[in-house]
Amino acid sequence: MKVHARFILREIRHSGKQSLTFVLCVALSLATLTALNSFKRNVYQSLVGEAQVLHGADIIIHSHHPIAQPLVQAVAELEEEKRVLSLKSYEFSSVVRPVDGDTSLFSSLKVVDSGYPHYGSVALLSGKKLQQVLEPGTVVVGQEVLDRLGVQTGTRLHIGNALLEIADVVLSESARPVAFFSFGPRIFISSADLDNLGLMGKGSRAEYEILLKISNSEELTSIHRQLTEQALRGQERVETARTARSGVKRFFDNLLFFLSFISIFTLLLSGIGMQGALSAMLRQKQKTIAVIKTLGSTYRFLLGHYFAIVIILGFCGTICGFFMGMVIKQFFPVLFQELLPAEIGLGLSLYDIGESLFIGLAVVGLFTFLPLYRLSEVKPVEIFRSDRQPRTSQRARYVIMALSTLFLLLLVIRQLEDVKTGLLFSAGLLAAIAVITGVSVLVLKLIRCIPVTNLAVRQAIKSLFRTGNATRSIIVTLTSALTVLLTIFLLKLNLFATFIDSYPEDAPNFFCLDIQKDQQELFYSLVDSPAPLFPVIRARLLMVNGAPIDQEQERMRRSDNLGREFNLTYREQLLKDEVLVRGNSLFDSTDLPPGVAAVSILDTIGDIGDFSLGDRLLFNIQGVPLDAQVVSIRSRTQSKVSPFFYFVFEPQVLEAAPQTFFAALHVQKELIPGMITRIATAMPHVSSINVSEMALQFGALLGRLSAVITFFASFSIAAGCLILVSAILATHMERIREVVFYKVLGAKSSFIVGLVTCENMIVAATSSLMALALANISCRLLCEHVFQIPYHPYFNVMALAILLTIVVIVSIALLSSMTIIRQKPVAYLRQDNNT
Amino acid sequence: MTEKMIEAKNVAKTYDIEERTITVLEEIDLEIDRAEFVVIAGSSGSGKTTLLSLLSGLDSPSRGTVKLAGRDITTATEDELAPLRNELIGFVFQAFYLVPSLNALENVMFPAELKHDTAAREKAEALLDRAGLWSRRRNRPEQLSGGEKQRVAICRALVNSPKLLFADEPTGNLDAENSRGIIRLILELQEEHQATLVMATHSGEIADMADRTLVLRDGRLVQGGAPI
Repeated sequence: MKVHARFILREIRHSGKQSLTFVLCVALSLATLTALNSFKRNVYQSLVGEAQVLHGADIIIHSHHPIAQPLVQAVAELEEEKRVLSLKSYEFSSVVRPVDGDTSLFSSLKVVDSGYPHYGSVALLSGKKLQQVLEPGTVVVGQEVLDRLGVQTGTRLHIGNALLEIADVVLSESARPVAFFSFGPRIFISSADLDNLGLMGKGSRAEYEILLKISNSEELTSIHRQLTEQALRGQERVETARTARSGVKRFFDNLLFFLSFISIFTLLLSGIGMQGALSAMLRQKQKTIAVIKTLGSTYRFLLGHYFAIVIILGFCGTICGFFMGMVIKQFFPVLFQELLPAEIGLGLSLYDIGESLFIGLAVVGLFTFLPLYRLSEVKPVEIFRSDRQPRTSQRARYVIMALSTLFLLLLVIRQLEDVKTGLLFSAGLLAAIAVITGVSVLVLKLIRCIPVTNLAVRQAIKSLFRTGNATRSIIVTLTSALTVLLTIFLLKLNLFATFIDSYPEDAPNFFCLDIQKDQQELFYSLVDSPAPLFPVIRARLLMVNGAPIDQEQERMRRSDNLGREFNLTYREQLLKDEVLVRGNSLFDSTDLPPGVAAVSILDTIGDIGDFSLGDRLLFNIQGVPLDAQVVSIRSRTQSKVSPFFYFVFEPQVLEAAPQTFFAALHVQKELIPGMITRIATAMPHVSSINVSEMALQFGALLGRLSAVITFFASFSIAAGCLILVSAILATHMERIREVVFYKVLGAKSSFIVGLVTCENMIVAATSSLMALALANISCRLLCEHVFQIPYHPYFNVMALAILLTIVVIVSIALLSSMTIIRQKPVAYLRQDNNT
Repeated sequence: MTEKMIEAKNVAKTYDIEERTITVLEEIDLEIDRAEFVVIAGSSGSGKTTLLSLLSGLDSPSRGTVKLAGRDITTATEDELAPLRNELIGFVFQAFYLVPSLNALENVMFPAELKHDTAAREKAEALLDRAGLWSRRRNRPEQLSGGEKQRVAICRALVNSPKLLFADEPTGNLDAENSRGIIRLILELQEEHQATLVMATHSGEIADMADRTLVLRDGRLVQGGAPI
C-alpha cells in the first residue's frame, strides 16, 4: 500500500482542534505516570538501591526485647570466625533537659557502639567522624536540640540518670534520610553510657538491634539463614538490608502506591478523552471518508492512513507528555518538601524514556482501537444521509471491550506491581463506573421526562440527547473524577476537624509511658492529679486458631497488621467510650476450655484479623505463652485521641505479668513543658509526650500529603475537562447546524448562550451532585470504618464544589461555542451546500 | 402606491480566497413589492443563492445596501437581525434544515415559541394539518421523507405569518410529483398570508408561475431588476 504523506498531513491540518485535543490527552495521560514512575525509581534507588547505607549493615537483627542468648551466641561465633563484624544499637525516646534551666525536650535517642554505622555515615558539624567524637560521657545532638533547649556544644544534658556533654552536632544521617516522621530530634549516645542512663529497665520501649557486616558477600544468604534459625519466632527479626522495610520505605511504598491509583485514573480519563477527540476527528471526516470509499478506496487504505495519523499524533503527545512529566517532576522537591530524602537524585534515565514511549503508544493503541475500527462501518451512503451514524456491531463492540479491559488490567497490574490489588482495583473501578453509568442513565431518563415550559431549557434538554453527544460518557467521566477529588478533600477536612482543628477541649493532651508499678504515687504527685493509669503488657500474637501468624506476610500489609508487638491490658469493665457489640458480657466465661483465658477484642483488630467470637489466640508475653479465646467484641463510641486497647483481659490473667503503666491526662497547654521537666527529673525513664504538639506536627504532615494528592488528582480534573472539550468537538457540526437553524429562525445570541449554558449546567450539576453523593458515601465509609472518626458532610464545601464545577464546565462550553455563536449563518449554509 | 418589501442598491459580494478576490455578485439593483412572487433564475454558479442570502440578511454585502420593509439591514448585527428573521422573514431551504432533535410539530412551533406566542401549538398544528402532516407531527426529521421534511420546513417558515418568504431551490431534492405538491403548497400559503415570495430555482416551470423572474449571469442581473 502506497502511503500518501500529503493526505496524512492534510487530514491533521484540517482537524487542528481535534488533533490538538488528542495530543493533549496523550500528553496528560503520560505526564503524571511518567513523572511518578521515574520518581518512584529515584526514591527506590535512593532507599533500596543503597539499602546497606539506609540500614547501616548487611544483616539487621531487630527486637523489642534484649536479643536472646541463642542469637547473641550465634553472632559471637560468627564474629570469632571473622565472618561478620557486629555492632549493637539501641533506639528509644526520652525526655532530656540541660543541667541548668527548666526546659526539656522529648528526643529520639540512639545508643551505638563505636564504629557505627558499618555503611553510610553520620555527618557532623565539625566534619569529624562519629566514632572520633562520640566518646563515653558525650552526646552528639541534632541542631533542633540546641535551638529548642537554648544550649550549645559543651552544655551537659540530663538523659535518664546520666549527665552527658554535647560534643558535636548531627547534620545528616544516612540511616535516617527523612526526619519528618520521627517525633523528636536525634541524640547519639555511646553504648558505654547505656547502663548509666538507667532507661533500659523493665518495660522500656527500646528497639534492640545488632548490625552485621559480612566479610564475604557470598555468605549473606547462608549467614542470614543460620541466624534466622536461632531467632525467637515472633520476637526477633533477622533481615538482610535488601529485604528490611524501613519506616521511610514503608511510607513511600504506601504514598506512591496511592499516587499510582490516581495516575492510572488520570490515564483512564485521558484515554476516554483521546477516544473522544479521535471520534470527533473521524466524525468530521465522515463525508470525506464516504466519498473516498465511493471512489474505490479500501478499508485497509483508510485504516493505514488514519492509523498513521494516530501514531504521529500519539508520538507527539508522548513526547509532550514525557517532557511535561519531567517538568512536573522538577516540582516534586517543592511539593514533597521535607518528605523527601535530601540526597535523592531526580535524574532522567533511558529507561524512563523507553517506558514513556511504550506506555504512551500502548495507551494510544488501546483507546483508538474502537474509533479506527469504526472506519470500516462508514458506508458510501453517508454522502446522502448526513444524519446516519455508522453502527458498530454488538459482537465487535464486545470483543473490543474485552480486549481493552484485558489490556487495561495488565497495565494496572504492571503499574501497581501487585496482581491481587491490581485485580481488586480494576474490579472496583469497573464496578464504580458501572454504578455511575447506571445512575447516569436513570438521571438522564428522568431529566428527559420532566415537563419544561421554558423554551431554552427545553431545547437544552433536547440538545443533551443529540446524536453523538456522548452526554452519558461525559457525565460518567466527570462524576468519576470529581468523586475521587471530593472524597480526598472531604477526608482531609474530616481528619483535620477531628485531630487538628477541633481537638476536643477535654481530650487527653499529655501522655506518659513506661510508669512502673511502684511509681504510681510519685507520678500522681508530679502531675497533681489522680489520673487513671492503664496497665500495659507487651506481647506478640503467635497463632490464631492453631495457625501460626506469618510475620513476613503480615508486615507486607499496608494497614495495621498482626505481626507487630501489641499492648495488652487488663480491667474489669468497659471504658466510658466503649460499647459491647458482640458477646453477652466483657468476659463471658461460658464454654471457655480449662487453661484458656477470656479476651475481649476491639472491633478494629477483629476486622484486621477477621476474628470472631470463639476464635483462639495464642500470645507470647516475653517468652511465656498465653492461650486466649475471644469472648466479646468492643467498639469505640468516640474517636477522639484517648487510650484504647485491642486486647483486654481479666485482671487475674495478667496482673502478674511484667508490665508498665500508661497515663493519658488533660492538662492546661502552658503547664505541659514544666510537667515534662518535673517528670524527667524525678522519673527519667518515663516518656512524656505533648500530644497537642504532636497534633500540630501531624497536621503539617497531613497538609503536605493532602497537597501532594490534590496536585496529582488535579490532573484527573484536567482530563475530565479535555473529555468535555473532545465531546464538544465531536458534536461541533451538529452544534453549528443547530445554532444556524436557531439563528435563521430568529433566535438572538442571548437565547443561544442561554441554551448552551443551560445544557452544560445540567451536565455539570448532574455530575457534581452524583459525585457529591458518591464522595459522601465513600468518605463516610472511610471515616467510620478505616479512620474510626466521626463523619461531617460539610455542606458549604459541597455547595462550593457544585458551583465551581458548574462555572468551569459552562465556561469551557461557552468558550468552545463562541465561534459558532458569532458565525454568520450563511457560512455554514454555503459549506453544507458544497459538501 | 405599492409597498416596497425589498430594495437592493448597487449590491456586490466578493470573497478573498488565497490572496485572490473573487466577485460573485456585482451592481445588483432591484426592488420587490409586497405579495409579489419573484423567481431568481440563472445557471449554476451565477450567484442565485448568494443573492438570496444577501436579500434575506443571512449574509452581508461587500458593497451596496439592502433594505427589508424599509429597514436597512446592510450593517445590522446578528442580534438586530434576529427579530426580523423571526417575525418578518420565513426561510425554505433545499436541504430542509430541520432541527434534528425536535419532532415535526416542535420544529414548526419553534419560531412562534421564540416570540412567546401563546398560540404557537395551535398555529403549528393548523399548518401541519393543512400540509397533510397531522399524522406525522410526532415524527423526528430522520423519520420523514424528503417531501415531508420540506412541507414541515414550509409550515415552519410560515408559522409567524412573515411578510417575506425566501426559498432556495425548495424542490431541488425532490421528485417531480413531490415538487409540484410543494410549489402548490408554498403558493397557496403565500397567497393566504399575502407574503412576498422570493425563490431561487433552476426550474422553468416554476419561473413561469412567478410574477417576475430575475435572471443572473456571471454575478450580474441581466433581467427583471425592477417590478414590471
